[in-house]
Amino acid sequence: MSDTPIDRVAKATPPSVASKIRGLSDRAIAWLFVLPTIFLLLAVNIFPLIWTINLSFTNFRANRPNREVDYIGLRNYERILTDEDIWLTMQATAHFLFWTIFFQVLIGFTLAWLINRKFKGNDLWTTLIVLPMMLSPAVVGNFWTFLYQPQIGLFNYGISFLTGIDPSSFQMIGDVTLAPWSIVIVDTWMWTPFVMLICLAGLRSIPDYIYEAAEIDRASQWRQFWTITIPMVLPFLMLAVLFRGIENFKMFDLVVQLTGGGPGSITELTSINLKREAFEKWRTGYASAYAIILFVTVFGLASIYVKALNKVKER
Amino acid sequence: MSEVRLSNLSKAFGETIAVDDVTMTIPNGALVTLLGPTGAGKTTILRLISGLEQPEGGDVSIGGRSVVDDTPAQRNVAMVFQQYSLYPHMSVQDNLAFPLRSPLLKTPAEEIERKVSEIAEVLRISHKMNNKATELSGGEMQRVSIGRALVREPTIFLMDEPLSSLDAKLRSDLRIELKRIQENLGATLLYVTHDQIEAMTMSTHVGVLDHGRLVQFGTPREIYENPVNLYVAGRLGQPRINVLPADMFAGAPAGADKMGLRPEHIQQGEGKGSMVKRIEHLGDQIRLHLTLDGHDVVTLSEPHSDLEPGDTVAIQPRNPLFFDASGVRIT
Repeated sequence: MSDTPIDRVAKATPPSVASKIRGLSDRAIAWLFVLPTIFLLLAVNIFPLIWTINLSFTNFRANRPNREVDYIGLRNYERILTDEDIWLTMQATAHFLFWTIFFQVLIGFTLAWLINRKFKGNDLWTTLIVLPMMLSPAVVGNFWTFLYQPQIGLFNYGISFLTGIDPSSFQMIGDVTLAPWSIVIVDTWMWTPFVMLICLAGLRSIPDYIYEAAEIDRASQWRQFWTITIPMVLPFLMLAVLFRGIENFKMFDLVVQLTGGGPGSITELTSINLKREAFEKWRTGYASAYAIILFVTVFGLASIYVKALNKVKER
Repeated sequence: MSEVRLSNLSKAFGETIAVDDVTMTIPNGALVTLLGPTGAGKTTILRLISGLEQPEGGDVSIGGRSVVDDTPAQRNVAMVFQQYSLYPHMSVQDNLAFPLRSPLLKTPAEEIERKVSEIAEVLRISHKMNNKATELSGGEMQRVSIGRALVREPTIFLMDEPLSSLDAKLRSDLRIELKRIQENLGATLLYVTHDQIEAMTMSTHVGVLDHGRLVQFGTPREIYENPVNLYVAGRLGQPRINVLPADMFAGAPAGADKMGLRPEHIQQGEGKGSMVKRIEHLGDQIRLHLTLDGHDVVTLSEPHSDLEPGDTVAIQPRNPLFFDASGVRIT
């Protein structure tokens, strides 16, 4: 047998050092390292999930733990899917999701594109634009209630300044038609910078020489934008949409602080609605079924989307 | 295709002077090679002609018309970039078709298809047409990059070391192919290379650059046989020209400081004795590394010579090149 350096090291190393010291096999040690993680995962993820599924078939109420629990089959699911109020909540969520993502992508990409045209002080602009993102959503929700104030609010004043409408003639938060837009505006204000940053990363990933080649190939600015910029930024853009979609599907703090779900339940998004069912009305079984339905919906949408994203990346 | 004329062209990047007062005419239908080490300004000259870079002084004219105020698109030049610059998100097919798909040209789809497959055939990338540009080897990318230029009919082709990352066989095949295409099209081509075989065999003219200045411009034979100075003499020739003190042998002209000896300037069998240090067998010839009075001399010998290290060979110069103390050629 040849005596390579590796062989020599192997010979010099005693078999399973650990077993001599502690009387444990290497395999046992491996398990020791993995077990805490497995335990944690089971305790905070797997078990609650299974327990929620179990509860979703019952009429259990968490505020009456001593009452006898009945298994009622699919009754909870039936009631949720036929409940018109819940469909309205879903619609409110869809409206919120669609328009926030639409505006954030549109404005975010435009800002990124402008910032990316190397001009003096663009770093300062980036920092300024990113500021809203660094605030707490609850604080943002709270101070926008002041900005939306019909008499003293800056937002109403600004609209009045631009269009000439009397500032106290409309209420962003109190009005049934305006309230859904009020939350869209605030979320867009807060999270457009995030989309902008991701788009900026995408734009900066396109090397200059690609544009030089296109320039030589006699492609107009317009053609360069549509055949080079957009396709190359698209994976980044889709990632931004995914992040914002997931975040806004579970939107809670900002909207609760801003409108509290009102007027009526016009801006009551599913997460707010769910919280009410679970921790105000204490319909634990019903809320569990609700949570499972939401989980399946989000999971389904997300996996379709991620597939599309991968396709774009592969292109 | 058009004549391209550079007059007193200058360009600096901050403190570094990249191109220094270059005047050069690239005749219509010529293949001009730019030679020079890294940083000599070869690539910058290509970029100035293409319009990707603006000159600080001087003029570029294509077909008799000054183009310094034109955009690259208006100049209608084709360029092969050193770093390939393929569109990474497109297939090879789309990369090759990109210049033809310009809405301005209104080229019919079948015409594009035909041209692209023709070029792909020549460059031997037909089997990779549906690959993404990023799924290619360096040599394949380089061929796509050449193809993207060749599908067009530009005023001038600018090529920045287009064959540098190909393997030896493909390189010599494509060298001939490229020359054939250039002659068939009657294309004007400005070519940057480090490879002296490319410079010698393909070009009608060679321009030698040193620190942004054009030192000599002429046919490859002129550059090889009549270099204006030591620098130019060192750019062409394999093995490199041997530089010895002029007074080592009798017959140096007045003012000569250095003597340049190419292998064909060295006659073996007579003259001063030199020791064989090393022998390199190249197959078709033998490269001899000699020591002559403490100076290294490299020359060629018959492939069947039975010399061995330690042997002594008598050598003497035959019509060598002489240079003065500043390196300028005397005779």
